[in-house]
Amino acid sequence: MDISRSTMDIAAACVTAAVGAVVCYGATLNGFAWGPSGPEPGYFPFYVGCLIILGSAGTIVQTLLRRNAAGHVAGHAEADSFLDGERLRTIVAFFLPIVAMVAVSAWLGLYIGMGLYIFYALRVAAGFRTLPSLLAALAVVAVNFVIFEKLFMVPLLKGPILEAFGIY
Amino acid sequence: MGNFGQLMDGFAVALTAHHLMIMVMGVLLGLVVGVLPGLGAPNGVSLLLPLTFTMDPISAIILLTSMYWGALFGGSTTSILFNIPGEPSSVATTFDGYPLAKQGQAARALTLAFTSAGIGALTGVLVITLLSGWVANFALRFGAAEYFAVYFMAFASFIGMSGGSPFKTLVSMMLGFAAATVGIDTISGEARLTFEFDELIGGISFLIAVIGLFGLGELLLTMEEGLKFEGVKAKLDIRVIARTVAEVPRYWATLIRSALIGCWMGITPGGPTAASFMSYALGRRFSRRGRFFGKGEPEGIVAPETADHSAGSCALLPMLALGIPGSATAAVMMGGLMIWGLSPGPMLFTSQPDFVWGLIASMYMGNIIAVVLVLATVPLFAFILRAPFTVVGPLITVVCVIGAYTVANHMFDVWLALGFGIVGYVFKKLDYPLAPFVLAMVLGDKAEDSFRQAMLTSDGSPAIFFSNGLVATMMGLGLLLLCLPVISALLKGGRGQKDGAAGAPEGRSA
Repeated sequence: MDISRSTMDIAAACVTAAVGAVVCYGATLNGFAWGPSGPEPGYFPFYVGCLIILGSAGTIVQTLLRRNAAGHVAGHAEADSFLDGERLRTIVAFFLPIVAMVAVSAWLGLYIGMGLYIFYALRVAAGFRTLPSLLAALAVVAVNFVIFEKLFMVPLLKGPILEAFGIY
Repeated sequence: MGNFGQLMDGFAVALTAHHLMIMVMGVLLGLVVGVLPGLGAPNGVSLLLPLTFTMDPISAIILLTSMYWGALFGGSTTSILFNIPGEPSSVATTFDGYPLAKQGQAARALTLAFTSAGIGALTGVLVITLLSGWVANFALRFGAAEYFAVYFMAFASFIGMSGGSPFKTLVSMMLGFAAATVGIDTISGEARLTFEFDELIGGISFLIAVIGLFGLGELLLTMEEGLKFEGVKAKLDIRVIARTVAEVPRYWATLIRSALIGCWMGITPGGPTAASFMSYALGRRFSRRGRFFGKGEPEGIVAPETADHSAGSCALLPMLALGIPGSATAAVMMGGLMIWGLSPGPMLFTSQPDFVWGLIASMYMGNIIAVVLVLATVPLFAFILRAPFTVVGPLITVVCVIGAYTVANHMFDVWLALGFGIVGYVFKKLDYPLAPFVLAMVLGDKAEDSFRQAMLTSDGSPAIFFSNGLVATMMGLGLLLLCLPVISALLKGGRGQKDGAAGAPEGRSA
């Protein structure tokens, strides 16, 4: 699987244009006209949305023009790859555990989430042995606990398990 | 010179043991942030900001600015030793810094970089000292229309001078504006763009955006490239350092030119990254040794470093005096000022002179401390960087996740940050500039308010933006900057396509 840069440019511009459309639509909910007491709340966001669509359209046109121009120079276009299958796998393998950590943290608290994540990252992704990974994960949790709960007095999300142990 | 007396008062505020300790701590944290790829100055300052809410504002701003200096210095260390820029603004330093280090002159390269960076930073602070009071006085006469004109000029200059695609700059900036309008409207009290989601009523914090765009996005990029740190060994010999410091004055022409470029790019929101590239390019063209650039030429290190740091410090001038930040990091700091209950802008100079001059005085001290600390800690950071990224990456991720949570103690913010991370990754790969996004997010409300106030006073006639000489000049300049890409495209078209290739390396600065 290979995604070329120009494809990605166009795809991204389509997404930003869609966001622009959503912004315009949202602005109409507040009214974007010129009311009796000056501009209505949606006035500013409406034109911001329009400019997003305009800029996205400009990017699409520019990309298409460039792609056509590059088409004449054979072999030039394919060198410009945005992402290939291998890199995509690397990214996903890095990103999914982060998503999992946030999901677990939302449920069981940040300390458990980060501990599990660090353990996974060291044991599976970095290939350390089980005991050092476990110790490192515990160390990370302990250090963060001391920094945030004790030094800066900024309590992080605890979750039901820690609360059952009486840690708030 | 009223400024001088006030500066002395400022030193009295800044030079307490407590504040010096804060500076040292800030610089050290900044060095860590600058050295590690994936953690940059804007992101680092965002992460630290929630922890300063309980401090008094002057200590807090000294901590954050010191961290900023540290990050600027730290970025150069990795550029020279590992050929990996720790910060986007130190990309240009790799061109000559790494080759020189590879020739076995790592100590010389580092000392050159830090000394010229220090000189650049002090020049920037000097410019702030001399000009800020004057600019603030001038700005006291501003009304809503003038303020909107200044904002307009700032945003127009991003589009006009970005170097990349003006459409992408426009999209990035307007997305920032859109994100800023989410939540309760300050004038009417209506909820905007929330689409009935309760989580969005409070708005989207710019800190979340920065942590996602600059932190997680950068991590994804670094991970994808599968970085291996293969560094050059650095042994710092005190004699080499002394000899190199004595060598620096020889490059006075490059120093002056680069400092001027840096100050200009810092005050106008070009930012340190653009400044360092421009200074490097101009150095290559105008220096007598220009043809040696790229092969380990000392002037090739001095030029971008001086400009980078003078731009970095000058970026704080418009933030303090006008309330318009000159770089992404300055934008984050300005958001901090607002959270601490200070309103940046000309009134700050009259209402909080202790704060302003204490901050300016701390910039002198902070930069000197940074030069000393960065030289002292090179071996330590070189050691840290030998740890594989598969270990460092997850640790940085945890810091970002916690940072996103501490902004407002909401798990929803963390999800948002993940979303911004993906956006940041895609945008960076496609050369969308991210600084305009952050700037628009911080300034969005203020720009909109001044626009609406101006329109209210004029009964909706845009003529108010051209009603007197001052505001008309600023709007005119802004419009000119907006048209700059069109003008340069026309000129380029006239000269044929030969110049197309010359601009290519600049694209990396985004």
